[in-house]
Amino acid sequence: MRLANLPLSLRVPLIAAGLMLLLGVVASQLVLSALGAVQDARMRELARLHVEGLALALGPAVLRHDVWEVFDTLDRAGATPDAQRLMLSVVADEKGRVIAASDPRRVPVDSDATALMPGAQSLDAMTVGGGDAVIRVAAPLVYQGRTVGRIFSELDVTDLVAERRQAGLALLAGNALATAVLAFAGYLAMRRMLRPVTLLASHMAETTGAPRPIPPQLIPRGDTELGRLFQTYNSMTGAAEAKAEAERRLADRERLVSLGRLSSSLAHEINNPLGGLLAATDTLLTYPDRPDVVREAAALVDRGLRHLRDVARATLEHNRLDRSGLPLTPEDFDDLKLLFRPETLRLEQRLDWRIEAFSAALARHAAAPVRQIALNLLLNASAAAGAGGVLGLAVQDSDGALALTVSDSGPGMNDAALQRLLTDDPVQPGGGVGLRLVRELVQAANGQIGYRRLDATSTVQVTLPGNPPC
Amino acid sequence: MQLKVSRRRMMALAGAAVAVPMRLRAAEPLRLGLTPVFLDNDAEVIARLRDAFGSGTGRSVELVQRRTYQEVTGLLLEGGVDAAWLCGYPYLLHEDALSLLGVPVWQGAPLYRSYLITGIDDPATSLADLRGGAHAFSDPDSNSGWLVTASDLARLGERVDDFFGRTLFAYGHRNVVRAVAGGLTRSGSVDGYVWEALSTVEPELMLRTRVIAQSELLGFPPFVARKDRADTAPVQALRGALLGLDASAAGKAALEMLQLEKVIAAEPALFDGIRARMRDLAAL
Repeated sequence: MRLANLPLSLRVPLIAAGLMLLLGVVASQLVLSALGAVQDARMRELARLHVEGLALALGPAVLRHDVWEVFDTLDRAGATPDAQRLMLSVVADEKGRVIAASDPRRVPVDSDATALMPGAQSLDAMTVGGGDAVIRVAAPLVYQGRTVGRIFSELDVTDLVAERRQAGLALLAGNALATAVLAFAGYLAMRRMLRPVTLLASHMAETTGAPRPIPPQLIPRGDTELGRLFQTYNSMTGAAEAKAEAERRLADRERLVSLGRLSSSLAHEINNPLGGLLAATDTLLTYPDRPDVVREAAALVDRGLRHLRDVARATLEHNRLDRSGLPLTPEDFDDLKLLFRPETLRLEQRLDWRIEAFSAALARHAAAPVRQIALNLLLNASAAAGAGGVLGLAVQDSDGALALTVSDSGPGMNDAALQRLLTDDPVQPGGGVGLRLVRELVQAANGQIGYRRLDATSTVQVTLPGNPPC
Repeated sequence: MQLKVSRRRMMALAGAAVAVPMRLRAAEPLRLGLTPVFLDNDAEVIARLRDAFGSGTGRSVELVQRRTYQEVTGLLLEGGVDAAWLCGYPYLLHEDALSLLGVPVWQGAPLYRSYLITGIDDPATSLADLRGGAHAFSDPDSNSGWLVTASDLARLGERVDDFFGRTLFAYGHRNVVRAVAGGLTRSGSVDGYVWEALSTVEPELMLRTRVIAQSELLGFPPFVARKDRADTAPVQALRGALLGLDASAAGKAALEMLQLEKVIAAEPALFDGIRARMRDLAAL
């Protein structure tokens, strides 16, 4: 998992722990470096004393090339308690020939001392930092201001190396513990500090459709950045809620507007049979004893009343509030046609009505939004086509999706109408919300809207993906 | 060297010190030269000897040490010391000027041997096997530490410098043992008395060497004085102290520390063996 993908409440403490680890490593390195410097200085001083002491004692013997004297001095020097660190001392003459060594079996008399010199450190530069348990030191043997030979020594620094290793391990353990404690403390502190942000993030994440304000008791006290952020968020949720409320009211108004436009047509639709009905009842009252006339008048009354019943049922059906769960049926389009046809009759428009989708295909869609989409588009098309215009509605099943195609012979949608239908831009004042309602319903159903103007005909096509059959 | 000082010994030494006549303090100190026999580095032995000779002679005794036999012999001949504990070889070299005061008795006789030693792991079994190796001598005036090996080689028709690849003088029998034990030389010529005595005192050192050859019994290193001063009071006092060393507590303590039994009078014939070796060496 990448660090950037971790939550902020985990990432920040981890970064703090990383920095603490880095600090611990640097501090440990500094301490070890200081310890190494002390050890190096100690070893340099010890080696210098060793060499200078030997030079003082051995000078005359080296000048005489006295093998026994040199060996005796080295042997005695190596036997002192302070010389436990000395593993080997070799004294050579100016030509590099061994005069004597503290271990003659290892370094015989007259052997070549230069073979021992590679890898040997000088007194001024010697260090025990290499990790070797034995370090080699080579130094000139100066007597009375003159270099008369060389001294080669091997020093046992096992204890110093172990001391450095133990110090390193102790530092490592201590720093690891301190880093863990501080990192955990940092984690808790950062969690506490970031808790409001986590709360805000959870509120925003939980928001589905309607932003939920944060309760006042959870808002950090004081004029902190987080407090202001919470206040701003709550203001934003209030604005969003107000906007949603306004949109709901606009939608209701739009429904009322469409009903108002339909009402005149409905009145005409009712008035037409009413005249015939009244004439029929008048005929019945006038000729109650003529069976043929009564039968014909009763039949006329029956057709009129049935027509009125259908109109009343369609109107009720369209305005029913609790329709969200009902599936779409061919009857919904019959109702729609019944409600819409008077408008076309009034404007003397020609309506091309083609419902080609089967019931099974229609049932995969909810009835209410499809009816509302079709009605709004038809009303818009009717208004655009004007008197004597041509309208069309085609409903087809397209690979499980429902395609509603509404066409008209009007001049085409203007930019404002297209903006409402095809974009989410704010609705400009003065325009209706019918087309925007269509867009929102289509979006809610995960559908798509297309507009095309071809051969003096405007076509709006809505494609709605179907839900799996229940 | 580890010294055991019992309460009884301490009381004896204290008694001996009290018994020293008061005139001791006013008399001239008696000067005795010492060669580095074997315990030359042990101040306790020196102190014991001084106490023993002081109580025996009734005089204060100054023990004079030098690094080489030649230096001590020179001091004796020039009168720098009244007497000296020398080796038989330098005694014979200056036999005409020196007289014997006494010879220590070790293991029942005033005799000792010279040992030829090597490192404990060395395969050599005789002097002939050491050809070409490095060899440590004690002192050019030492019988056991030089003359015996040199004369043995002379008897074989060999010269020391030709036979050995390298030789050195360690100026002390103990140093010879150190040189061989430490690997500085392959072999060494050492006083048999010193080697045996050190075996009990410093076994860890001696166990790193082994004896591959021993000489015949030879005269033990004697106490000597100049003939022309042999009859002087200090020398006579010293002779008396030496010969009566085993009779006093301080003397016994010193002898015990030196692992010797007593000091007896001896004739020059005791050193005929050394004399013969000197002749063989000179004949080469």
